[in-house]
Formats: sequence, C-alpha cells, structure tokens
Amino acid sequence: MVAKMFKNVLTRRSLLGSGAAVAGSAAAATILPSTAFAQDKVVKIGFLAPLTGPVAAWGKPGLDGCLIWGEWINAAGGINIGGEAHAVEFVAYDNEYDPAKARTGATKLIREDGVKFIMMLGGDTWPGAQPVADRTGMLFSTLLPSDLSPDTTTLIAPCEVHPIYNVTGVEWLANNMPELKTAVMCAQDDALGLPSVATYLAAFEAAGIEMQYAPLLFDPATTDFAPVVTRLISGNPDIVCLDTCYADYVHPICEQLFQQGYGGQVISCTADFYQQIVAKTSEEFMEGFVFQFPDFDDPALNDESINFQMPNEFYAEYASRYGADQWGAVSWEYASIMDLWKAGAEKAGSVEPDAVLAAMKEGGTGLHAFGEADWWGKDLFGIDNALVGNWPVVVIEGGKATIKEFRSIPDWYAKHGELLKKHMSAYGQMWNQRT
Amino acid sequence: MTKLAALLGFGAILLALPHALSFSQQEILVFLTINVLVVASYRLLTLTGEWSLGHVVIMGVGAYASALLSKRLGIYVPAAMLLGAGTAAMVALALSFPLFRMKGFYFLIGSFAAGEIIRLLWKRFREPFGGPKGIKKIDPMPDFDIGVYVFDFFEPISYYYFALAVVGVSLWVMWRIERSPVGLTFHAVHWQDRLAEASGVNVRAYRTLAFVLASGFAGLSGALLAHYIGTINPNSFDVEQMVFVLTWTIVGGTATFYGPILGCVVLTVLNEIVLREAGFEQMRPLIYGLIMILSVLFMPKGLESLVRGALSRRNANRKMTGETEATE
Amino acid sequence: MIELLAQTGLNALYAASYTALVAVGLVLIFGVMGVINFAHGELFMLGAYAIVAVYADWNLPYLVAVAVGMTFVGIVGLGMERAFFRPLRDNPLGGLVASIGFLMILQALVSMGFGVRMEHVPPVTQDVIVITEKVRLPVFRLAVILAAVVLLASLWAFLKKTRFGWALRASAQDPEAAALQGISINQTARIAMFIGAALAGVAGALTAPLISVNPHMGHSVIVTAFIVIIVGGIGSLEGAVIVAVAYAFVHTFVTTFFDGVIADIVGLLLLLAVLIVKPTGLFGSADRA
Repeated sequence: MVAKMFKNVLTRRSLLGSGAAVAGSAAAATILPSTAFAQDKVVKIGFLAPLTGPVAAWGKPGLDGCLIWGEWINAAGGINIGGEAHAVEFVAYDNEYDPAKARTGATKLIREDGVKFIMMLGGDTWPGAQPVADRTGMLFSTLLPSDLSPDTTTLIAPCEVHPIYNVTGVEWLANNMPELKTAVMCAQDDALGLPSVATYLAAFEAAGIEMQYAPLLFDPATTDFAPVVTRLISGNPDIVCLDTCYADYVHPICEQLFQQGYGGQVISCTADFYQQIVAKTSEEFMEGFVFQFPDFDDPALNDESINFQMPNEFYAEYASRYGADQWGAVSWEYASIMDLWKAGAEKAGSVEPDAVLAAMKEGGTGLHAFGEADWWGKDLFGIDNALVGNWPVVVIEGGKATIKEFRSIPDWYAKHGELLKKHMSAYGQMWNQRT
Repeated sequence: MTKLAALLGFGAILLALPHALSFSQQEILVFLTINVLVVASYRLLTLTGEWSLGHVVIMGVGAYASALLSKRLGIYVPAAMLLGAGTAAMVALALSFPLFRMKGFYFLIGSFAAGEIIRLLWKRFREPFGGPKGIKKIDPMPDFDIGVYVFDFFEPISYYYFALAVVGVSLWVMWRIERSPVGLTFHAVHWQDRLAEASGVNVRAYRTLAFVLASGFAGLSGALLAHYIGTINPNSFDVEQMVFVLTWTIVGGTATFYGPILGCVVLTVLNEIVLREAGFEQMRPLIYGLIMILSVLFMPKGLESLVRGALSRRNANRKMTGETEATE
Repeated sequence: MIELLAQTGLNALYAASYTALVAVGLVLIFGVMGVINFAHGELFMLGAYAIVAVYADWNLPYLVAVAVGMTFVGIVGLGMERAFFRPLRDNPLGGLVASIGFLMILQALVSMGFGVRMEHVPPVTQDVIVITEKVRLPVFRLAVILAAVVLLASLWAFLKKTRFGWALRASAQDPEAAALQGISINQTARIAMFIGAALAGVAGALTAPLISVNPHMGHSVIVTAFIVIIVGGIGSLEGAVIVAVAYAFVHTFVTTFFDGVIADIVGLLLLLAVLIVKPTGLFGSADRA
C-alpha cells in the first residue's frame, strides 16, 4: 500500500516534469554521468527483426539507428522512471523473417532477457509472435499497420502508417499539377505491394486521375525491368506510380523509364538512396519526383511540431558511422518508436507494458515523429492502434529531397474514407477479410 | 533385453529433456521434433533413389490443408492434421504421374518446378490460401487434461510431448515399412533398377508408393507446425527451407534410419543454439556453410558413419573379449 | 503496337544474353564434373560486386573491372574445384551440399564486407539509339548483347578448335572413355570450372550497372538458369543457348502483355510440359541423367 502511494507521487512528479524533460536532458547529462546507473536500473528493449537474409535491409539499419539513439539517451541521463534514471539496453534477436524464429525470439526476449518492449518489422513474423504477445501481455510495435486487428491489443504501429500516408503524395500532386490526368502503376506481388496498390487506387480516384489500366504486378524475384517499363509507358501516361517498390526495384525501374524516354511525372512511396537514381538518370529526369520519405538533414524537420529528437544531428551521426549511402527509412523509424516509448514510460512512471501502453494512448493522441497524431485505425484495422497524423510530401528538387508540405492523413480520410475501404476490400486487405 | 532397457532409457531422456532447457530452447526443441519427422520422411522417399526438391512444399500442402480444414470447416484439430497428411499424400499421387517420367537430376528439378507452381498458386489465389501473407490465427491444438498432466498447447513443453508422441508413432510406422517386404523392395528399386524390373517388380508403382507415403508424413509434419506457430505463408515452404532439409539429410547420411535425424539434430543445435549463444550475428550463415562443407569433405558417409564406427568397434571389442573368455 | 512488339523484342534479346551466359556456365560445369553447382547464382553476384569494388569504388575503367571480375570469379571457381568438387567427385550429393554451404559463405562475406543494402553502380554510358520515338535501344544494353554473343562464339570456337576444347567435350560425353584416352580429368575439370564460373562472373559484371546489386541477387538468376538447362537437356551447350533465348522471349512477352507473375507460372508449366513429353530435355541424351 505504501509502495503504491509512493509510486503515485512519483508518477505525478514525473508527469509535471515531463515538459521540461527534453530541454533539461542535456543538462542532466552533466549532473548524472552514465556510470551512475545502478546495476539494476537498466531497462531492456527487444529488437526482433531480420538481421541476416534477404529481408535484413529492413531490420539491420534500424538496429544501427537504435544503438545511436540508446547511446545518446544514456549519455543524457537515461530514461527517467518515477524519478530514477534507467539506462536503456537493446537486446537483438535475428528472426530471419521467419514466423517460427519470431516466436522463439519473442519467448527468449520476454522470458529470459526480461525486456519490457519489443520492436518488430512485422509482416510474416508478427503472427508467429502473436500467441506469445497474447499470453504475456508484452507490448510490441510493428512497422506494418496491416498487422493490426481487433485482437492485437498490445501491438502498436506508432511510426510507419504504411500505406495510408501515400494518399498525401497523390493529393499534393493533384493540387499542384491539376493538368496530370492519367496514371499507370506497377507493384511487386507481395504483402507490402498489395495494400499500397489499393491505397494509390483510392488516392487517384479521389483526385480524379484516371488509371489507364489495372496495376501491373511483378514477381519479387524480377531482375530486369525493361519489359515492365515498356508496358507501363506504352499508353503515354501523365503519371507513373511505383507503388511501394523496394529500392531494389525503384532504381532499375527509374533507370529504364529514363532510358526508354519517359518524360512525365513519377510518384513513389520510397526513393531510398535517390542520389544514386539521380546518378543513374539525370537531374532533369528526377526533378519533381514525388515520394514520402524525407532526408533527416532537411531543415523543415527542425520545426517545433516535429517530435523526432535532433533529426539533423541524428542523420549526421548515422552517416558518419555507417555511411550516408546506408541511410534509409528504417534507419530512423525504430529510433522514433523509442522516442514515443520513452515518453510513454516516463509519463507512466513505469516500464511495465500495460502502464506504458495506457500512458501512450491517453487522450487518444500521441507524439508521432512528424507531429501530434491520433490513435486511429478502427475502420481499416479494427483497432485504434496506429498513430496517424501528418506525413511529409517530399519532392526532389535540384537533385535533393525537399519536404514540400506536411499533409494530414485524417483530413483526407474524412473526405475519401469510403473510397479507400472500397479498394482495400477489392484487394482483400480489410482486417475482416484477412484469413 | 538390453535393447529394451536402452530404448526405455532413451525415452526417459526425451521426456525429461525439456525440463533441462531454457524457454527459447524448448521452442527450438518443438521445431526440431517436427523437423525430425520431415527428414525421416524425406529419407523414405530417397530409399528408391530419387531426390526431390519439392518435399517441403508437400509439407506445406499438409499445413495449408490442415489449417484451412480446421479454420473454415471447424474440423477438430487432430482430425484436420490427419486429413492434411492425407491431402499431401493425394497431391503427391497426382504429381507422381508427370514426375516419375523423369529420373535423377531431371526429377530433382522437375519436383522443384512442381513445388514452385504450387507455391505460386498459394500466392496467386488469396481465396482460400491468403495470398503472399498466407493464413493467420490457425486454431491451436485444444488444451486437455489427462489427470496427471494438463496439456496447455501454448507452452512448448506440452506441444513437445504431443509432437514427440506423433513423431514417435510416425517413425515407428516408417521403421516397420522399411523392414517389411515393401521396404526391402524400395532398396531393390534403388540399387537394381533394371534387375528389379526384369524380375517382375513394378518399379514405378514402388517409386510412387514411397513418394506418396513420404509425402503423407511430410504433410503431417506440416500440420504439426501450422497448429503450433498459428501462421503459415508461401515463404515458410520455399526452396531455402528445402535446402536445409536436403543438407540435414545428406550431412547426416542416408544409409541408416537414424542418419538424417542425426544430421537434423546436430546442425539445428549448432545453428540455433551454439552459434546464436556465441554471439555470431552476421557470421552465423558463414560458419554454418563452412560446417556443411567440412562435414561432407571429412565425413562423406555422413554423421551416421561415426555412430556406426563406434558401434562396430564396441561389437568387435565385445566379440574379442568374448573370444578370450572362451579360450580361457 | 508494332513499336511495342519491337521494343519488347529488344528487351527479350537483352534478357536472353545474360541468361545464356549463366546457363551455359552451369551446363559446362555439370557436363564435365557431373555436379550441380548451387552456388552458380552467387558467382554471378560476385561478378557484380567486382564491378562495385573495382569500377564504382576504385574508379577504374569499366572494361578493366569486367576483366577483373571475370578473372576473379574464374579463380574462385578454380578454388571451388580444388577445395571440394575434386575431393567429392564420386559423391555428387556431397558436391551439391558443399556448393550450398559455399553459397552461404559467399552471401555472408559479401553482406559483411559491403552491407546488406543494395549497391550503387554509376552508369557506364547513358547513350540511347533512338530507332523511333517508342523503340529505343540503350547503347549499354546493346554492348551486353554483343559481349554475350562474342563470349559464346569464342567458347564455341574454343570447344571445337582447340585440343583443350576437344578434351572437354570428350569428358563431358564420357568421362571414363576420356580418361582411357589419356585425358586428365583434373585438368578438364579445372578448365570447365574456370570457364563456367568466369561466364557467370562476367554475366554479373556486365549487368551490374542495370540491375539491383545485393548479396541475395543470385537467387533469381539461378532458378531461371536451372529451368533453362533442364529444358535444354543437361549437358547440351547448344540446348542451353537455344532455350535461354526462347525462355527469355516467352517470359518477356508474357510479362509485357500479361504480368510478371503469370510469366513465372507459364515458364514453370512449359518446363513441366517439356519434361513430361521428353523427360531428358529437348536436346539431352538419356544416359547423363
């Protein structure tokens, strides 16, 4: 009883102090050197993602980013739980993008390492870990909101809201270049490509842009994209949409669009390592390329509404450690989830999963990397566990990615939600359609 | 008598084993037990001399069938598992018509192509197979209480005992088949293809029989897997998994019943426990690959040859001591 | 429509060129050594990474990089022959397992040395031959096609006109008879492995600027190569070339007019159909199975 009262007091104190925590963190580092952490004041965070194998590019760079995040946080005094500083430590388990290994990894992280939160890539691996999550009540995060369903009560998608944010790029295009009337699309036939196809179809329909023909699907093992591109541009479309193609596809497709003489608009979800695409094509060809992932040295990210801590410094540190050519979306996404978790834990005054989750979701809003956002998703996922708010529209100008605008996803959805549901249903992507 | 004692002792060790392991090692033990059935059934297929690259896909057929039957039709999970095994055997029977026109390397690649077509069908037809995401939330084994022990099939120990029983019975059946006249004919088909044919053995029928039986057991192992992890997708049964089964089998050796099982156990323990514990993250595939090369180079007859060597030495010793006793 | 057909034909020609190089190398190794080189796709990948290192990182001329890549991968092939294919000559399944182990090693080494991410290879030339507005042939693609033709023609000349080539063909047809003729099996195996690996390496090196270079890129070419050599009949070099061209055309046209996933299914169904009708491939003989 006494302990409980004590805890409550501390919680309130940490609540009062949370506003100043960010500003004070640099000062705290001098007062509280990292050696001052007591042996037991360490909070362990699980990192359960592919680190080897073909999907490693979606995990390994994220772990690299988390290590920087952890060092910085620890140097600045750690995480303040109920007035006590906790050092953060990441425990990684390579799940090789295999559901069985994800289950084994989740068991090890929870029951043997005693982690308090587990970050996953999700996708194929989440259903493997889900029974463990259900039993233990462990808090998990995913980069793929399509993992969410009404019974995934301890799974959150607090950063990536793929593919819903793709609507912002199309909407921006329609507002700024109303003369573009026709579009074509290609996508790899997999769990990432299909929901994105549905989203882009909805966004184009909402913007009054006509699809010349059905999206062209290709196998993920495709090496040569000349045939796909030949077919795509055969009807002289105004817009070529690359859906959520991986970098391994975006680059050769752009190269082929360039070589086959396409001069129209290109829109894509990602353009990782776009400097290399510029080098493979030309600055003129890439001028005006629309996508959704900013460089973190973009000055627009220093805006007060952005919650990712020191984005420009983070980018510089990452580039100097691992090379600028290794920077991509996952480099910062897992770290940004940690920002949210840290805020939740400090607010809750506890590292226990249920307390942190409750603190995170309190009031129905949360501090997403790109600004305050709503816990959302009932319509699409059957549960409000995706943090959805603004998302940047990024355009390549003079060979450099530039944030043009932060657009609101909920605003788009309020107007065109039915369209999205229609196309998602057609592609079997609604939560109640998933087998 | 000593054999029975040894068998009982071994059984007791298998029953006690999970209690000596950590939680994650218990999980690995469950998957290992299921994989033992996969490699043992693979050996049954190779008895007739044919090596298939479609075995893991056939295992997937059992997994998909069992998952869909229990999920869509509400069939009781253990029954669905048996039906899944039956479905895998039926699919294998259908495939045997085109595939057994081929032999050797052609059969190897032909079986690969047939498997890839099945996988592409799973990907292509979201109804009922779930497309690239596969099937989620497959019904788990219903928990039950046998008085002395409560089976809670979320717990790896419970599922391990269940899988151990299923795999044990399956292995026993396969062992009996191999020792039966049918099994002896399998060997004959392998070694004396033309001779067997000349002496009136319908070689193709026996090949087909071995293929169908092996596929049935593979399907059963797939069903065991599906109802434990609760999710399957086309990538769970891709050629990479097949390569693991192939290497376990060859590294273990196929001359004896226990060879492939030995290969599976040793390589899994090395890869999933030893190398992970040692903290080799990105180096893991490298060391695993090196072990594979070294083992085929220095143990061309497989791990089983070590056991056989030890056994024959012991027998020789015993014989010798027996002889000396006799002369005295 | 004519333009679309013409452009698709050019696309198919390019796909045929590198597919043929990889498949011919695989056939040569199988024919002479009787072993399935599962690591062949990784040799292709090594050739591409040679370009990354020599051309992209050290800024040496592209042709130098291709030569380095080809030689380097050929030498890796020699190493594979000496290290495990030779000791395992009487154990084809052992050879298969060893090559699988070796591919895991190559993938891990490249992942550790270069990172798991795709690599950037700057374009060699961006010139395009504009035939009509909608029919364009990038000069670099033309160069790859020509290089493949030249390489395959020289291989053909080597096999038909030189003593080594004669020995190679003899041991591919009947290793025991060749040994009786005084042909050294070790030597022919070395030559076959060097040439076979070098062809995969040069295919990777030539296509590196056009495709995504990553540690797992070998997987997609090896599957195609297996289909090609099986349909062609293993052991038949001519069969491999003819089927590589035919497969590339079928796959490219189906991709363009339907989609890529259907093209894969069509390719596999064709493979099964051929094997059902002629279980030893189109140009293969029964006794080498």
